[in-house]
Amino acid sequence: MSAPATTAAAAGHHEPSKFHFYIQIAMILSVITGVEVVLVYLPIVKWFVVTALCTLSAVKFMFVIFFFMHLRWDKVFCTILFFIGLVLAGGTMWALLHIFGADAAKPLTAAALETARLAVA
Amino acid sequence: MSSPAATGHIDHHHDHTTATGIPNKKLLWWAFLASDCMFFGALISTHLVYRLNPPPGNAVPTQIFNIELTSFSTFILLMSSLLMALAVNAIQRGNIRSTRTMLLGTMFFGCIFLGGQVFEFTHFVEVKKMTLSNSIFGSTFYTLTGTHGTHVAIGVLLLGMMYVRTFKPASGGGLMLNFLHLLAVAVTFGVAFIWFVPGMIEVIYGASFPELLRHHALPFAAGIAGLVALIALGRARGAVEFGEKNAIDVEAIGLYWHFVDIVWIIIFTAVYLLEYL
Repeated sequence: MSAPATTAAAAGHHEPSKFHFYIQIAMILSVITGVEVVLVYLPIVKWFVVTALCTLSAVKFMFVIFFFMHLRWDKVFCTILFFIGLVLAGGTMWALLHIFGADAAKPLTAAALETARLAVA
Repeated sequence: MSSPAATGHIDHHHDHTTATGIPNKKLLWWAFLASDCMFFGALISTHLVYRLNPPPGNAVPTQIFNIELTSFSTFILLMSSLLMALAVNAIQRGNIRSTRTMLLGTMFFGCIFLGGQVFEFTHFVEVKKMTLSNSIFGSTFYTLTGTHGTHVAIGVLLLGMMYVRTFKPASGGGLMLNFLHLLAVAVTFGVAFIWFVPGMIEVIYGASFPELLRHHALPFAAGIAGLVALIALGRARGAVEFGEKNAIDVEAIGLYWHFVDIVWIIIFTAVYLLEYL
C-alpha cells in the first residue's frame, strides 16, 4: 500500500465501509434478474408479465442509480440533473412510439406493398 | 474536489469550494450521463418502433436469440457493477491494493460481457444469417447493442487507464513504465474479449479446445505475453502518488460504468425478454 494511503488509514478518518451493503444490493439485483427470466416462461397473462418486467427493470434501475451510483448520499442536484435527461429520454420514447404507432405510419404488409406497386405501375 | 482538511478527513460527497457543493468532475459526469440517456432513448425507441410494426420479411427474434447466454451476460454486468462499487468504497477508505484488485475484476467482467457480445454477433451473422443490412431488425438491433458494447469497451479502457494511474510513483517520472503498463492492459483485455471469451463460449457449446488454440495461436500468445507483463508491472514499486484524495476520479469512472449497466438493464428487458411473450 502507498505511503499516503497508509498515513490516511492511520489517521482513521475514512468513509464508513459499505462492503456488506453493496453485496446485499448485488444479491437483490441478481434475484430480480432471475425472476425476470423465469417470468417470461410462466403461463401468465401477457399484460401482467409486461407490467411485472417493466416494474422489476425500474426497481433494478433505481437500486443501481441510488446505491451503486451514490445518488442516495450525494446532493439532490445530481438526482435532478440526471432525471432531467431521463425524463427527456422517456418523453422522446413515448412520443416516437405514439407517432409511429399511428395507422398511417405503419409499414405495409408484403401483400399491400405488392398491390401498391401494381397500382403505381 | 475538497482538499484534505486539517483533520485529514475527506468528504467524498460534498465539496464546499464549488458553488453547487458538488465536485466539478462529478457534476460533469452526471451532465454527460443525462445527455447519454437521450442518446440511448432514441436508439431504444427506434428499435421498438420497428418491432411493434415489423416490415415484411423481418427476422424472427426468438429464433435468433440465445436467452441463456444473454441472461448470463446480464448477471456478469451486474456483478461488474458490484466490483466497481467496491473499488470506489476501497479508495474512499484509502485502500489502494483493494482498489486495484476491484478495478481488475471489473475490467475482467466487462471483458466477459464483451466476449459474449462478440460471440453473439458472430453467431447471428454466420449461423443465423442476420446482418446489419439484410433486415430492419438486424439494423436496429446491431446499432443499439453495438453502441452499448462500444460504451462498455470505452469503459474497460478508462478503467485500465485508472488502474495504471494507481502505480504512478510519488517521486514523479515513470512515464515509459506507465505506457508499457497500459499497453499490457490493452493487449491482455483486448485478446480476452475478442478471442479468448468467445472461444471459451464456443468450447462450452461443443467446439474443441485444442482446435481453438491452433486457430488463434498468435493472439493467444500475445495475450499471455500481455498477462505476464501485467503481472510483472503490477508488483509493488514503492510509494505512489495515488490515494484517497483521488477517490473522486475513481468514482467518476464508476458513474460511467454503472450507467452502461443501467442501460443494459433496459435493453435486456425491452429487446430480449419482451420478445418471448
